Amino acid sequence: MQKKLDLWTIVTIVIILLLCILLLLPIMQILILGFMDADTGAFTLANFQKVLTKNYYVNGLKNTLFVGILGTLGAGLIGIPLAFFTARFKIRGKAWIQTLAILVLVSPPFIGAYAWIMMLGSNGFITNAFKAIGLDTPTIYNAPGIILVFSLKFFPFIFLMTQTALNNVNKSFEDAAENLGCNPWQRFRKVTLPLVFPAVSTGAIICFVLSIADFGTPAILGRGFRTLSTIALGAYRSELGGAPTMAVTVSILMMAISMIALIIQRRILAKKRYASALTNLPVPVKLEGWKNWGIHIFCHGLVLIAMLPSIVVIYTSILKTKGPVFVGGFGFESYQRIWRDAPEAIFNSFSLSITAALLITIASAFISYVIVRRETRVAASIDFLMMVPYLVPGVVMAIGFVTVFRNAMPDIFTATVLLVMVYFIRRLPYGVRATSSSLRQIQPSLEEAAINLGASPLGAFRMITIPLIIPGIIVGALMAFITAINELSSTVIIYDSSTITMPVQVYIAVLDGEFGTAAALSTILLLSTGICVFAVFRFAEDRESAVL
Amino acid sequence: MASVKVVGLQKLYGSVVALSNINIDVPSGTFFTLLGPSGCGKTTLLRAIAGFHSQSAGDIFVDGQSIGDLPAHRRDVAMVFQDYAVFPHMSVRDNIAFGLKQRKVRAAEIKTRVDDVIDVVQLGKFADRMPHELSGGQQQRVGLARAIVVQPKVLLMDEPLSNLDAKLRVELRAELRRIQQDLGVTTIYVTHDQEEALAMSDVVCVMEGGVIQQAKPPFEVYSRPSNRFVASFVGSNNFMQVDLNDSKFSLRSTGEFISSSVRAPKSGSFVGAVRPEDLDILPSSAQTEDDKKKLDVPVVIQEVSYVGREIEVYGQTSNGELIKAIGRPDAELITLAPSDKVIFRTQKEKVLFFVDEHFGVRI
Repeated sequence: MQKKLDLWTIVTIVIILLLCILLLLPIMQILILGFMDADTGAFTLANFQKVLTKNYYVNGLKNTLFVGILGTLGAGLIGIPLAFFTARFKIRGKAWIQTLAILVLVSPPFIGAYAWIMMLGSNGFITNAFKAIGLDTPTIYNAPGIILVFSLKFFPFIFLMTQTALNNVNKSFEDAAENLGCNPWQRFRKVTLPLVFPAVSTGAIICFVLSIADFGTPAILGRGFRTLSTIALGAYRSELGGAPTMAVTVSILMMAISMIALIIQRRILAKKRYASALTNLPVPVKLEGWKNWGIHIFCHGLVLIAMLPSIVVIYTSILKTKGPVFVGGFGFESYQRIWRDAPEAIFNSFSLSITAALLITIASAFISYVIVRRETRVAASIDFLMMVPYLVPGVVMAIGFVTVFRNAMPDIFTATVLLVMVYFIRRLPYGVRATSSSLRQIQPSLEEAAINLGASPLGAFRMITIPLIIPGIIVGALMAFITAINELSSTVIIYDSSTITMPVQVYIAVLDGEFGTAAALSTILLLSTGICVFAVFRFAEDRESAVL
Repeated sequence: MASVKVVGLQKLYGSVVALSNINIDVPSGTFFTLLGPSGCGKTTLLRAIAGFHSQSAGDIFVDGQSIGDLPAHRRDVAMVFQDYAVFPHMSVRDNIAFGLKQRKVRAAEIKTRVDDVIDVVQLGKFADRMPHELSGGQQQRVGLARAIVVQPKVLLMDEPLSNLDAKLRVELRAELRRIQQDLGVTTIYVTHDQEEALAMSDVVCVMEGGVIQQAKPPFEVYSRPSNRFVASFVGSNNFMQVDLNDSKFSLRSTGEFISSSVRAPKSGSFVGAVRPEDLDILPSSAQTEDDKKKLDVPVVIQEVSYVGREIEVYGQTSNGELIKAIGRPDAELITLAPSDKVIFRTQKEKVLFFVDEHFGVRI
């Protein structure tokens, strides 16, 4: 029998085409350029040879792995105890701790870097305070600072995932371990930790991949300390006009690191699947005396330290300034300056992110339907492709977009169009995940009933499916917006003078030492992000799974 | 009201055959039930008729017109779902009006038709409630009302009562049948509950392995099952080894002749089937009757279980077959205990013979 082209088959084809053009094509292009001689266009392995032998690149690779691994370890050292204490012991303000962790998670990624400079930099107020009493503070620049910022920025992934897992460990396992003679530490190490290992490692792999990809932090804190993402941008800028072979070769290296990390984690996890009946849920224990004080100070202290950059930024934004200099007292000069000097950055940021978020919202509804409702291999591969944007660093994706689209048709693919496209594909997974998890709650028989009663497939989708998954759609749109408006690493490659965004403006202001304007812009970003997060809380059934 | 005809329908999932050469004929106004264990293909067949998945071969006709290639929303067959599928974001009234709105019926007519059907399914008090305010039984009434209000050519029901508790299930069963007969709507009903199937249907169609085993009125399916599978699936049955000599079946455990001159294959193994309710339980001291019409099976009791209305006695024959008899729990039976010897007695004419295979035919 001949297969009929029904609505959803057509939609599936359109989605595949869209993903091929926006996702696979740029990645393919990068892979091809990496094996190409910049001058002759012939096939060569010289680029990789150069990257893997020249000190400049090899050091970049070492640095990237160094701060990536130590940053992830740091995030684990903060996240795991925090998760364990909040899941197993009675802690006052647990919801507050979680909310702060989520705010840290979604706050603009580069704020941490320059806020720490304001605190611990060579002219930072903590540094100066210590100097006044004759003490030296450890340096915030280069590796130590980057690792500190990564740890404090990415620990919420490990914290929230581990905490969820700990809450779902059947208490009987721990009771049995105790019954068989384990002391509490042995019990934690031999039973509890292995049981939550899948969650810990998933959180860790996200930290690691984000650390590898992060551009803002090493760009701001690295004084001569280069990572692959800053090297890629540098190479891209120096190769403008020619084929960006070195930039893409470095990009391939970054992708390879992320992929290898993911594959290793999957390999380890494949052998560790634990079935567990949720019959005996763990009950938090109340600690007494100094232990109780200790865990409270630890938990609240850590999330406050992680929030410190945001607080410093907001505080700095209302300091009185004269030009780039803080003159003491409070005032709104910084805001007046950005309004006078860079109103287009604010406008661009909002218009680009809102456009991308709207497109993501529409696409997510259709893609989610195909992934959730169509049980075909094609649907499964679309689901898999939705993971790819997480793994491709922003700098890399942007270079791919520029080489594929702008170099082919510069008149159509202006910076504005490219930015919307790159935001769209990089943040699409947020929209799809929120929408599809919402759709999974809806019984398929509802749509079938509508069709059975005479509604067309599109009619059933419009009248039944969409109204029922509106909460998921809203959460997806908000998450897409939040992550798009804070985007720096792709934007910094693509933007031109007319498409500058707030994150780029902050980045430039920080490099110029204009901390007042940087703070004011960051505060606007923080506030928009914060408002959206609370809207997410309002609509999401499960706050954490919405933002992770 | 319309007749339904399925011709040579086949459904493959890759190499797995979900439906194999299905042919059914449902006359107009019939209550036709697809009965079978889970995975037998009954729901697949129903969903193929509804148009939710396309058949690999064959066709479906409603009133002689092919609908096999029509998309689901243009088939005019209304379905009642196992999980109710009541739209959670619409009131009872809007749910029921949904199909009429799709058919572009005038608002005034929608109102009267919805009001009428709300009376039929006795939901008057709940017309403006939202689904989450209704019980499961009430939601299923909405599901039924929503399907019948469009006056479909065919009504399809996919285990509509299986999510309800036992008592409500029996009540709604009678009501469904009453409404179906009042409307005279051709109905195809899927269930795995044989009691439900026997109680409600004009025709019971037993399916297994994607194949129709038998499609006959309930009494016939129960009393004259077409093959061994139907005999064991509908009601319960004891199967005992029998031997075929000189065109006569004899019981292997006792050697007694049961029937003469049967038309059976020359070779092969055969079983005799007796329903538990056709076996009387007698003390072993009971007189062996000379009556040639009676069949006595001496057994050793393995288990006696008293279930209130009746008593179930499991006995083992001399060649190790476990067979069950059901009796009224009188003073004598209640004292039976394992390893007591008793006689299970039946009428020879009650014994049916089958080829001893899963789908072995009746002889």
